[in-house]
Amino acid sequence: MTSFKLDYEIMKSEILPPFSLNLNESNITGIYSDTDMQAELIHMLYNDSDVTVCDWKDGLYDRLTVADNVAFYHKWFGCSIPLPEILVLFELHMCAKKPLRKCSHSEKRRVQYAKYFMMNTYPMVFQEPIHGVDVRTINTFINMLKRITNNKIPALILVSNMEHALLLSDVAYRLQEKGLQEIEVDNVKEEDVTTGTEPAFTPSTVNLFKIPAKIDDKVILFDPLEIDYIESQDGKAMIVINDESYALDSTLAEIENKLEAYGFYRCHRSYIVNLQKVREIITWSKNTYSLRIDNRVKSTIPLSRTKIQRIQEMFNL
Amino acid sequence: MNAQRISAIFEKDIKDFMKNMMLLMMPVIPIILALLYKQLGGEEGLPIPMLYLIVGVTFSSVTASCMMTMMAEENEKKTLRGLMLSPASFLDIIIGKSLVVGLMSFIALTISLVIVGIKPFLNVQAIIGLILLFLFFLFLGIGIGLFTKSIASTSAYLMPVMFLFGFTPMIDFLGLGEDSTAIMIADVFPLMQLIDMHDTNSWIPIGIVAIWALGAALFTYICFKKVRTDD
Repeated sequence: MTSFKLDYEIMKSEILPPFSLNLNESNITGIYSDTDMQAELIHMLYNDSDVTVCDWKDGLYDRLTVADNVAFYHKWFGCSIPLPEILVLFELHMCAKKPLRKCSHSEKRRVQYAKYFMMNTYPMVFQEPIHGVDVRTINTFINMLKRITNNKIPALILVSNMEHALLLSDVAYRLQEKGLQEIEVDNVKEEDVTTGTEPAFTPSTVNLFKIPAKIDDKVILFDPLEIDYIESQDGKAMIVINDESYALDSTLAEIENKLEAYGFYRCHRSYIVNLQKVREIITWSKNTYSLRIDNRVKSTIPLSRTKIQRIQEMFNL
Repeated sequence: MNAQRISAIFEKDIKDFMKNMMLLMMPVIPIILALLYKQLGGEEGLPIPMLYLIVGVTFSSVTASCMMTMMAEENEKKTLRGLMLSPASFLDIIIGKSLVVGLMSFIALTISLVIVGIKPFLNVQAIIGLILLFLFFLFLGIGIGLFTKSIASTSAYLMPVMFLFGFTPMIDFLGLGEDSTAIMIADVFPLMQLIDMHDTNSWIPIGIVAIWALGAALFTYICFKKVRTDD
């Protein structure tokens, strides 16, 4: 099995920690980091490794139709897949005759996916590929990634959103000052031990139960029902309400036991969701799932493959 | 050089040309000018300098201007970023665009010359002269197009090109003395050389225009080197 090696052990950068990473051709690799580190990493990729990053800054031909745009790139890059198949693959056949300037953001993004797909660089690096696009576009991107792995081309995805990293990649890493750490995904054995072993809480204390979270030196008590979901960051549990998050002292496993009685469910290794607030179960291709939360920012959180059945039972689906 | 890429660029730019009002109006200018001059000329046809004025307007407003605008738009919208993975592909882009511009210039020139009387141009010497003149304006357009970053700035660059090289025969109307330096310099300019050629029938003017075209090619090459190293 061949792979593409990114070696930044000897670093000139002040922001990035030294690290090295093998991009495997049969896996999609994801790196989750804040935007500063991401920008620095892209800078390094351009200058040191001479890698082309798909950063969506390339313009398209606004006056031409979608089909003309794709046809041009198809011919220019000498793509071997027939043009109609490309249009269908990226769900562009519906808007093929539309001038690009009248297209929505998501449609334009799909044209860019098609362009990068036909460009066929080695390896393929995507920056925030599904930021701000609709569900259909995310699905075409997942399909495209599947094609890329089939073509034996290593792919790297750079995101600043944990959910996107878990959704798109097979192997996800977190890049921090400390270095590069792998985020464990879907560890089934461990999950089985933790779920369903604890007995339910005694009813007498349920009514008074609050979750304490610390902000600076204050302790805030949250009513379980106002919590959207709880995510794990570096082993610490964080309560998320809309776009704000509050650190908890306990681990995710501890809090999971306490909250089970309130209709909370461990839907992913690093997430506990308030089932009352789930608005939508999104099914992506490739057998991956997400939950959309009914809050102001409409956040989506990952749902493990192993948990989907349990969720469906709970909602009587 | 890759024929498939050149034809991809050519097809794309022809489609784009047809949908871009700014470019589409350019070939109309010399045609309207030709119609106006024909009314002025009356029965016996226009003098040679007037014909060359129309040729100059065609080449500067169609060839040079369209080339500049097309390249500037690609620069402005960063549409070429992903395409230029090697210097060879850059040459493909320029050749593809030159073919589009060449086709449009040919159509505009033929129509306007047919309107005012194409007869003086129907000999080998005049046609070679026109081809060299076309190359001169094309290289000038490519060179300027390489470093312009926006469509708006092209009009600033176009003005000197148009007045110096496109409207050279107009210098007679400025009322300068026959032996003034301005006239002496203008006489070496490509358009004036070609007008001379019709009077004298000698091949020297063709040589001088060829030197101009070579100079423009050199200018393009320098611009190209500079732009490549800047990246």
